[in-house]
Amino acid sequence: VPTDRPPFEDLYRDFLGRIYAYVRAQVTSSADAEDITAQVFMNAFQAYPRFETRNTTPAAWLFRIARNATLDHFRAHGRRERLQRTVEHQPLDEHDPAGMAEDRIRYQALLTYVARLPERQRDAISLRHSGLTFEEVGVLMKCTEDAAKMLYHRALKVLRESVKEEMP
Amino acid sequence: VSDEEDRELQALQRQLDDAFQTTRPRGGFEDELWARMQARRPWWQRVQAAFATLIGGVRRIPPAPAATVAVLLVLVISIGLLGSLGHRGGGASSTAGLSEGAQPGGAQTHFNPVAGGFGQLPSPVLGPGPGAADMNPPKEAGVRSPAASAAATPYFGPADLVWADELNVPISEVPVFRYMEPSAQDANRFATSVGAAAQSGQPGPGVLGSYSAPDFTLTVASSTQSPKREPSYILTPKAGSSAAGAAAADAAAAYLRSHGLMPTWQATVIVEQAGDIVRVRYLREFAVPGSGSAFLIDSLGERYGLEVDLSGSAVVQVVGPMPIAMDTALYRITSSGQAVQSALASGASGGGGITPTPTVRLTSAEIVYSLVWAGDHSFYEPAYLFSGTFTSNGVTYVKRVLVPAVDPSQRSS
Repeated sequence: VPTDRPPFEDLYRDFLGRIYAYVRAQVTSSADAEDITAQVFMNAFQAYPRFETRNTTPAAWLFRIARNATLDHFRAHGRRERLQRTVEHQPLDEHDPAGMAEDRIRYQALLTYVARLPERQRDAISLRHSGLTFEEVGVLMKCTEDAAKMLYHRALKVLRESVKEEMP
Repeated sequence: VSDEEDRELQALQRQLDDAFQTTRPRGGFEDELWARMQARRPWWQRVQAAFATLIGGVRRIPPAPAATVAVLLVLVISIGLLGSLGHRGGGASSTAGLSEGAQPGGAQTHFNPVAGGFGQLPSPVLGPGPGAADMNPPKEAGVRSPAASAAATPYFGPADLVWADELNVPISEVPVFRYMEPSAQDANRFATSVGAAAQSGQPGPGVLGSYSAPDFTLTVASSTQSPKREPSYILTPKAGSSAAGAAAADAAAAYLRSHGLMPTWQATVIVEQAGDIVRVRYLREFAVPGSGSAFLIDSLGERYGLEVDLSGSAVVQVVGPMPIAMDTALYRITSSGQAVQSALASGASGGGGITPTPTVRLTSAEIVYSLVWAGDHSFYEPAYLFSGTFTSNGVTYVKRVLVPAVDPSQRSS
């Protein structure tokens, strides 16, 4: 392992929680979030020997893997169910009352609204509040830094309206 | 944007920050996942990680001494009936009676006719060991095993164990092997024997030397306790060495032969696919006179030995035990009845576990060898490995119990 690359264990400890939170804001259950997070770090672990710090930051690299893994999850499980929930505004995790209560304490309700945003808006919010810079968000979303900022602020307003509607 | 709207958006941003910062996986997930990742990667990567700061660094070591490559005498231990005490599944494999003969690095096995000649022995164990928390299975949960047994997850927590089969061991004595920890000079001799010269630079702790040859680099590490590993080498071709068209096992064998690295010990060869890498594994076996041979296992109970990684038909890495001279002594074996009793009494070799405590029917037992570190020397000790599977919450686990095969009167722990 080249000396300019931090030990993978450091990345794991620094980013596990952030990646999990990012994924959790995208999917409908904590079990799915765990599965995807595990896949993210398994993939990252395997690919780490090829990771080049001069090309990207560890955060951007990991969140790219997380984003792809989440998209793979949606592709594999279909978005229909999720979209149905969105349309019906069903609460998430209703099969797990204990976990739901805990999640609520942890702002799960707010993340639920984030999960209902259109995909790019949801991504912009999630990536930004997972600690990425707008530049990194832009790179991941294949747009400029300014476009990422605009997308984020638009998403923020949509989110505010959603929250207002249901939690006046 | 009005001031009020601005304040609302700022408040929402703060809530989002809080939401993302406080949304974390359940307790234990971090440790479980890390252990799964550790368990999935090959042992040599764990060794590499242990020496991560050393293996890529600049080293200054004296040039290798003039080549004094010993022509090795390897006493061939007769391989008789394989005393499979139960099932010995191993996947698609071919048994390679890896030939005895000259071996780089000075490996030689000496028989010591005196029973119990090494004195009292420390006992082999499975699962987490002292100081091995980050390298071993988690204490409270199962971990995903390497690809060889990906269907079941090793479980080291408490269990109510049942054994209903018969266990007959047709021998009264069993060999124990001992090696002394090699020096940097030993590593130099090994490197020279395979055509590598010392690189400049000072090896750090745990690394015996770093070497370079025209077509590969070589790092030799001393024994490690966590993970338990004998002195090992990591050979990395500078460019993929290709044997176009050859099957992976044949390409691996050809590479080992051409570099004088074909092991002299008996092994079963299996081929695995790990991502885009094909891994040819030589699972090491030890001869047990009168009972056949027994696989070498690691602290997870997985068989191991030497591994050759190929990408396409090109060898990209070889990792294996450094050839080392060993002494042998015979020890009285624990009776099969005692072994079963000990297995059933050892409900757990780790802490924590699944709730409620699972009941596991042990369905197989075999003699295996396990590395036991003892300071400036180490032992390969025989043990009974019992195993059985169970399912909890839809996950299939394998419970393994290791019982030292050396009679308790000749053990120090």
